[in-house]
Amino acid sequence: MDIDLSTEDLAFEKEVREFLDGNAYKPGEDYNAWRMGWFEAAREKGGWDVPKWPQEFGGPGWSPTQHYIWQKETASRTTPWDMPFGTVMLAPMLMQYGTKEQQERFLPDIRSRKVNWCQGYSEPGAGSDLANLKTKAELTDDGQHYIVNGTKIWTTAAHIADWIFCLTRTDDSGRKQEGITFLLFPMNQEGVEVKPIITLGGAHSVNMVHITDVKVPVENRVGEENKGWAVAKGLLQHERTGIAGISNSIVALENLKQKAGTVKRGNGSLMDDPGFRKKIAELEIDLMATEFTELRSLASASAGTAPGPESSILKLKGTNIQQRTNKLTMEAGGLYSAAWGDKTAGPGFAKAGTAGYLASRAYTIYGGASEVQRDVIAKNVLGIKRSGK
Amino acid sequence: MNFDLTEEQQLVADSVSRFVSDNYHLESRQEYAAEPGGFKKEHWQTMAELGWFGMPFSEADGGFGGDQVDTMIIMEEFGKGLVLEPFVPSIVLGGGAVKRGGSDALRAAILPGVQDGSLQLTLGYAEEQSRFDLNDVITSAKADGDDFVINGQKSMVANAETASHIVVSARTSGGQMETDGITLFLVPADAEGVSMDSFPTVDGLRASEITFKDVRVSKDNVLGDVDQGHGLLHEVVLDGILAHCAEAVGTMEMLYKDTIEYTQERVQFDHPLSDFQVLQHRMVDMFMEYEQCKSMLLRATMEVAASGVDATRTVHALKHLVGKQSIFVGESAVQLHGGMGMTEELRIGHYFKRLLVIDAQFGNADYHLQKFAA
Repeated sequence: MDIDLSTEDLAFEKEVREFLDGNAYKPGEDYNAWRMGWFEAAREKGGWDVPKWPQEFGGPGWSPTQHYIWQKETASRTTPWDMPFGTVMLAPMLMQYGTKEQQERFLPDIRSRKVNWCQGYSEPGAGSDLANLKTKAELTDDGQHYIVNGTKIWTTAAHIADWIFCLTRTDDSGRKQEGITFLLFPMNQEGVEVKPIITLGGAHSVNMVHITDVKVPVENRVGEENKGWAVAKGLLQHERTGIAGISNSIVALENLKQKAGTVKRGNGSLMDDPGFRKKIAELEIDLMATEFTELRSLASASAGTAPGPESSILKLKGTNIQQRTNKLTMEAGGLYSAAWGDKTAGPGFAKAGTAGYLASRAYTIYGGASEVQRDVIAKNVLGIKRSGK
Repeated sequence: MNFDLTEEQQLVADSVSRFVSDNYHLESRQEYAAEPGGFKKEHWQTMAELGWFGMPFSEADGGFGGDQVDTMIIMEEFGKGLVLEPFVPSIVLGGGAVKRGGSDALRAAILPGVQDGSLQLTLGYAEEQSRFDLNDVITSAKADGDDFVINGQKSMVANAETASHIVVSARTSGGQMETDGITLFLVPADAEGVSMDSFPTVDGLRASEITFKDVRVSKDNVLGDVDQGHGLLHEVVLDGILAHCAEAVGTMEMLYKDTIEYTQERVQFDHPLSDFQVLQHRMVDMFMEYEQCKSMLLRATMEVAASGVDATRTVHALKHLVGKQSIFVGESAVQLHGGMGMTEELRIGHYFKRLLVIDAQFGNADYHLQKFAA
């Protein structure tokens, strides 16, 4: 047991820094061209564009320490925007449940970021109780297509997505977890209607998606008919570790300290306020512990064993830390945290701080609300049996 | 970077774990606590024979050359059984001060006995007024020829009544709060002028209030440099904090697991208590805080093993987190056990009391949060 980086790890860290600095965005450059080029260059490094993919599918086969170094270095620099839906969530499911044809058809465009995906999970009547979904998929008489009808809600990035992976109901005669089928289809077609939902911070990132008589060929089904719940749950596992966001929180906390240091308070700054300082300290301590919980989780994953019980807490702890960071950033704005127009007043971060705080309230709701997460841990990790009375 | 135990460490972990589960049932533990001195002398000798006391000492001092990670492995298992034997006072604190600050002759005279269990050390660092500040020292030591003469008082010294020697911090120069001017001495417990009042602590262990009246100690018994004892004491206390936190993490694991077991057996309103979601969520929180404390323990222990006092800030973080969350876990365990949690019949209450005492050792959660934020 030791904490030092080996000579190889130090060399890797240097290589990562050189890569990130060498491919950094230059002002005036065409953003999209830079973005695509960045992923291409990362790919040429040997799978750095898809760090979590297994080697057989072109991933880099990094050790836990290398993943940790990558996360740390990328969090502290500007990297191209990326969505988790394709590379982090759908791809592992295609690798596990997809046919060879599906893998060959979809993985390359996921990897190159040419195709953006969105996640058709929640419905107006199926939030935390996801298995209650009603979007119907009916097989045509010739057995070649499904006809899909229903409504999805809270669909992040549906308005910029090219494709959707969608949970549908193909059977409602048994348990609600049975009879779910996992389908893939394009967004840009008749019968798919996307309506924006504006959230508390004024942002448009989620949508309502109405699906009317959309025809999906059977070869776009992942896994067997009525067995989509296993795929759906497997994907959530990947979603949940992804949204802990520890490395980003480390950077966010440093930014917060800097901002608070610029806020005047009496003769000093807000960082001289013992109450505020105490909250920052508690946050930093929780983050330090969570960072090591993630390292332990990475280590057990690479040992090939099932994720240790510590992995299950990352989403809960990670989102709690993100919310507290956002809250303290808003608090740092003081009176100016109320300024909301196009013309802002006070410190530059004040309005963004408030917007960020409001947006962060979603972190403990999506990807399995924190209360659902606790139910899952109680049952699957702690093995608490319910008597069913 | 890796989290794996070496083969030797795994053997030690298994051996300590077996010893604790064989010997430390609650009833036997309470019997040992009632013996003179508050622990079982045979166990003390067995531990020495199994080589556990030699772990953190260098090979030159007759030990196995281990570090804080080895102590952590032992202490986490001790925490599961509420082990009473004075491993921390003698091996980690007293032994830690002698191995760092003792002259060649003093180390050769003392450390073999510490490792074979024939000597038992402890550390007197706190005073009535000092609360948690190591630098707040009134007890004085005045040079007189080849000796120093110590006068003053030390508070809440663990296992002092069975100790052969006490490591004492005393002021050799400077004002009451100055970090400079503190010197550490190894004082034989039977030296003339040493007197103590000994009593049980709430967790079933033993402590003493010690008075020093014109106690004469040879300058050969100075640990480290005269006036520069604060740095040495700080290093020793870091090890003590790591050891106590490892113990607390072991205790927290037992508390959350015992609670899960109990709530699945206890039936109320025609349901096992574990059917109730509000209790499930509380137990998930207990489990989470245990895992977080374990993560921070690994982090702080590995950092101190790698870079010593440079990792002090992480140790503040650890002591804060363990103090705060171990008491949350302890209070929750008592709450979920209901009336039974209030009795001395179950392990729960004993674990809880030990965690309260650990929080107060070397600075509580608030104290270390302030240090961390400073």
